[in-house]
Amino acid sequence: MPAERYLRILNLLAGTDGSNAPRLCAVAAEVTATSGAGVMLLADGRPQASLCTTNDVSALIEDIQYTLGEGPCVDAHRSGRVVSEPDLGASELPWVEFSRRAAGAGVQAVFGYPIRLGTVRLGALNLYRDRPGALSDDQHANALVVADLAARAILDSQANAPPGAIGIHVEEGFDLWAVVHQAAGMISVQLDVPIADALVRLRAHAFATDRLVAEVARDVIDRRFRLGTEK
Amino acid sequence: MPNPVLLVQSLVELADNLVDDFDVVDLLSLLSERCVGALDVTAAGVMLAVPSGALEVIASSSEAMRTLEVFQVQSDEGPCLDAYRTGKQVVNLDLAATGTRWPRFSALAAAKGFHAAHSFPLRLRRRVIGALNLLRSDPGSLQEADIAAAQALADIATIAIIQHQISIDAQTLNTQLSAALNTRIVIEQAKGKIAQATDSDMEQAFRRLRSHARNHNLRLADLASRIADGAIGPSSLDRPTPE
Repeated sequence: MPAERYLRILNLLAGTDGSNAPRLCAVAAEVTATSGAGVMLLADGRPQASLCTTNDVSALIEDIQYTLGEGPCVDAHRSGRVVSEPDLGASELPWVEFSRRAAGAGVQAVFGYPIRLGTVRLGALNLYRDRPGALSDDQHANALVVADLAARAILDSQANAPPGAIGIHVEEGFDLWAVVHQAAGMISVQLDVPIADALVRLRAHAFATDRLVAEVARDVIDRRFRLGTEK
Repeated sequence: MPNPVLLVQSLVELADNLVDDFDVVDLLSLLSERCVGALDVTAAGVMLAVPSGALEVIASSSEAMRTLEVFQVQSDEGPCLDAYRTGKQVVNLDLAATGTRWPRFSALAAAKGFHAAHSFPLRLRRRVIGALNLLRSDPGSLQEADIAAAQALADIATIAIIQHQISIDAQTLNTQLSAALNTRIVIEQAKGKIAQATDSDMEQAFRRLRSHARNHNLRLADLASRIADGAIGPSSLDRPTPE
């Protein structure tokens, strides 16, 4: 019964009324028997902010997608469909670079669930496993419920935000990537290029050096690294 | 008895309207017209509750129906109001015998040639959003099959309207969220430009941005946007005033 499933998962979130974002990700991992979970917001097919992650690996899964613009969340968001890659070691994966870097962190299976309400697309839930294996029907159904609850939590958070502001839970997740935009502003002045070009240069450098865009951005801001001076 | 062919056609037609971009008034006008065709009734109309809880006439299959619906709202009596308030069907009410329940409505409806009134709540679980009104000019009861069909048509319309409202609310919130995120991104970008151009850190850059916006009576987001897109040079801002 779907209603019973909702109740069971809502009980796990009990006392948090869905507004406790970290708990949402923890429950997502728990009810799907996965190694970790994360919820990210996307707009126009690109990651914008992270609502929650359960551990360093799920944070990395989001960062890689933010850096590369590819991966299970990006695909789930764009297509509106569930993305399931139960064995990253298998050949013919749609995202070569994402898979290489995720596998390097011990990720063996990833799943992306679109977070949407009707036709309104908000983001995606990502789940990962440190061993290969598909989700069972029961786990899959649970993931759908968590994605639905996440959509409501994001909209509730925004409904309670002051005009023009970001809902408090999204605000926290935005801070993760604020450095990237600050660095893009600096690079734009350094190289005398528009900000969009600066952002492309920053991402390209992170990609080429196998680093996360937020790490490179931090180095730019702290004046430890300047684009155009690299060897 | 309902006309089975017309009833199925009406159900398909209503379902076909449940696309992303439908109009509630169009849907309810369609519902009223199809009730008259498919069911054994003379006139149909729909009322919806507005946020204050008051009912408003949304659709009517005829002018006589519209007059009677408006009258119900104004005089605060009638089958539609009862169905809305109780959430229960009001069926086979002989207007000749309801003079004490709805004295003014019954008299007016009888004067317009109607013999029986029926009303169905637009209800999804505990939530009642309005009512569907059906009137018959022939004496005699509405059959079970007509009653079931009328409620089915009302239920489809209800689900469509509630889904539509949820979708509009979600769309509005998502648009606000995206706009707010974009504003934040632009402010961070402007901070980065100012920090680089004035050899300062992000905190100092933000103070400069905010101070300039205040001095020149500009919105922070607008100023940041003009700096980010290059319309205002990042080194041309006022020095921050001490706090």
